[in-house]
Amino acid sequence: MLNYLVRRLFIGALTLLLITFVIFALIRNIPGTPLTVAISETDPSRKLNPADLERISKTYGLDKPWQEAYVLWLGNVLKGDFGQSFSRKKPVTTIIAERIGPTLLLSLTSIVLAYVLAIPLGLYATARSGKFDERLTSLGLYMLYSLPAFVGALLLLLLLYQKLHWFPLIGMTSDDYESLTTWEKMRDIGWHCVLPVTCYTYISLAYDARFIRANMAEVIRQDYIRTARAKGVGPLRVLFVHAFRNTLIPLVTQIGLTLPALLSGSVILERIFSWPGMGSLFFDSIGERDYPTIMGLTLMFSVLTLAGQLLADLLYAAVDPRVGYS
Amino acid sequence: MVRAATSTSGSVDAPPPVPETAHHSRGFWAEAWRQFRRRKLAMAAFCSVWFLVVVALLAPAIAGTKPIVCRYKGELYFPALAYFNESWENPIFFNDKFRKIYPKNLKKKDPESWAVWPLFYQDPFRRIKEGEWEGQPENPSGDQGAPNKYNLFGTNQQGIDVFAQMVHGTTIALLVGFVSMGIASLIGITFGAVAGYLGGWADMVLSRITEVVMCVPTLILILALLAIVEKTTIWHIMAVIGCTGWTSIARLARAEFLKLRDSDFVIAARALGVGWPRIIFRHVLPNALAPVLVPITFGIASAILTESSLSFLGFGAPPPNPSWGTLLNSGRDNMHLWWLIVFPGAAIFLAVLAYNLIGEGLQEATDPRLRDPGR
Repeated sequence: MLNYLVRRLFIGALTLLLITFVIFALIRNIPGTPLTVAISETDPSRKLNPADLERISKTYGLDKPWQEAYVLWLGNVLKGDFGQSFSRKKPVTTIIAERIGPTLLLSLTSIVLAYVLAIPLGLYATARSGKFDERLTSLGLYMLYSLPAFVGALLLLLLLYQKLHWFPLIGMTSDDYESLTTWEKMRDIGWHCVLPVTCYTYISLAYDARFIRANMAEVIRQDYIRTARAKGVGPLRVLFVHAFRNTLIPLVTQIGLTLPALLSGSVILERIFSWPGMGSLFFDSIGERDYPTIMGLTLMFSVLTLAGQLLADLLYAAVDPRVGYS
Repeated sequence: MVRAATSTSGSVDAPPPVPETAHHSRGFWAEAWRQFRRRKLAMAAFCSVWFLVVVALLAPAIAGTKPIVCRYKGELYFPALAYFNESWENPIFFNDKFRKIYPKNLKKKDPESWAVWPLFYQDPFRRIKEGEWEGQPENPSGDQGAPNKYNLFGTNQQGIDVFAQMVHGTTIALLVGFVSMGIASLIGITFGAVAGYLGGWADMVLSRITEVVMCVPTLILILALLAIVEKTTIWHIMAVIGCTGWTSIARLARAEFLKLRDSDFVIAARALGVGWPRIIFRHVLPNALAPVLVPITFGIASAILTESSLSFLGFGAPPPNPSWGTLLNSGRDNMHLWWLIVFPGAAIFLAVLAYNLIGEGLQEATDPRLRDPGR
C-alpha cells in the first residue's frame, strides 16, 4: 500500500512537471506580454517606447527566453514563492486566496444541494423503474443534463431578472453593501447566490441522479436482491439497506473526482454572473497575459485533478475489500 | 442462435437463398441496430440529427439572397452554392456588377432571365434593404427586431436575420461535432489501444501524456493556437477541440484493450506470428469498438458545447460566422432582445440533447446487461 502510494506520488510529481512546462511554453508564446497588453488596452496612443519596454522587461524578467524563465519560476515555486501578479501588483497566493471564498460558496452549496436532491430522485427512479412517472422524471433529468449551463443561465436571467425582476443580474453584493448590517449583508449575498447556485446545481443534480440510477439498476438485478425479496424483506428495506448501500462505492469515488471542480469554478458561469471567483480570475489573467497568476492557477488545478484521481483510487480500495494495491 | 422468423419486406417474392451452411446468427452490429431501433427516443434523436444534416445541406435554399438556379444570358447558374464556398460563385455576376443583389439585377440586365429563389429572402451576413425583394420592407435593427412575418426569429442589432444565421450556423454545429470527434477518436483510440495492448513503458508514457492533456485548459490552447496561425478559422477551432477532447476515449479504449489482450483469440493470432499493429487494429479493435463508440457520441455533444461556449466567450471563429454560440453571445449583452437568447439557446440544447440520447441508446443497444430494461 505504502509502496503504491509512493510510486503514485512520484509519477504525479513528474506529470505536474510536464504539465507546468507545457503550459509555461504555451502562454509565453501567445502574442503580447503583460506590459504591452495592459498599456495598449488603457490607451493605444500611449505605447511604451522600445527603450522603456526593454528596461521594464528586464526588471520583470521578461527578457529571458522562456526555458530559462521556467526554471526560475520552478525554483521559486519549490521555495514557496508563486510570484507577483503583473496586473494586480499583489502576490499570486493572496489573489487566489481572495477568490477562493466566492467560488467555494457556490460550488460547496451546489454540490451538497445536488447530492441531497439526487439521492432521493435516483432511488425513486429505481423503485418506479419502467413506470410512466419514472420515464417522465428520467426524461426531465436528461433534458436538464443536456441543457448547457450558459443557455440555462441566460434563460433564468431572462425570466427572473428581465421579466420578473426577482433577482439581481450580476455580482455578489449590492452597491450599498458596505452600509448594511451583518444580517442584511448575509441576506444580500444569499440573494445574489440564488441564480448562480441554481445553474451549478441543476447540471450536477441531473448528472448525479442519473449516475445513482445507473448504479442502482446494476445492483437491483443481483441475486442477493432476489434472495432478499424472496425471504420477504419489504421493498423499502430492500431498496435502502440491500441495494443502496452497495451503490455507495461508485458514489464515494465520484466525490474524489469532483475535487477539482470544487475550486476551479466555471469560467462561463462566473463570467455571465460577474462572480468574483476563480473562473473569472483565470479568464481575466489570460487576457492580461498575467503569467504568474495563470501558472499559479494551472498548478493548483492540476494538483487537484491528480490528487482527485489518487483519492478516488484510494477510496475505492478503502470501501471495496476486493480492491487492493500491492 | 436461429435467425428470427420475421422476414424483411421486399424479400417475399425473391427465391430463398440456398443455405450453404446452417443459419448463422445475426451479427453484433445488426443486433445492436435492431436493439437501437426499438428505442423510440434514441430513434427520434437519430432522425433529428439527420434533419439537421438536411437543413445544413439545404441552408442556401432555405434562407439566402442568391437564386438556387437561374438562367442568365442563355446559361444556367447556381449562385446559391456560393454560401458553401465563395469561389463557387460564377465570375459573370461579379463582372456584371451585381454587387450581391440578385433579384433586380437579373431582370434589369437580362429581361429573359428566370430564377428559383430560396424559401426566405434573407441573408446570414448582411441586412436586407428596402425594395431589394418586392413587398419586403427593410430589416428592422437595434431593439426593433422582434420576430415578424419576414424575420421568423427576429433580427439582431445590426438588422441581420436570426433565422438565416441559425440555418447557416447548422453547418458549423454539425461539422464541429463530426470533425473534432473524428480527430479525437483517431488520437484517442490509437493512444488507448497502444497503451492498453503493449502495457509497460508504452503504457506509462502514453498515460502520462493523457493526464497532461487532461489538465491543459482548452482556453489556453486556443489562445496559443491564435499565435501560430495568422487567421483563425472554424477549422482550427475544430482541430483544437479534437486535440483536447480525446482523453476519455483513450482511457476507455485502454481499459478495453487491457481486458482483451489476454483473450484466446489474441493469443491465437500472436501464436500465428501476427505483428502487434495488425493484432491491435484488425483483431482487437473491432471487438473493443462498441464500448468506445458511446463516449464518442457523448463527445460529439460536448464538442458542440465547447464550440458554442468558446464562441460565447468571444474566442470562436471570427465574424462573419453565424455560429449559434456567437448569436447567443450577442443576446447576453442585450437581455431585453429575448429572441437572441431563446432561439439559438434552444438550437444548442436540442443538438446536444439529440447526441446525448443517441449515445444513451447506443449504450443500451450494445451492452447486453442493459438491453432489457426492468429485468
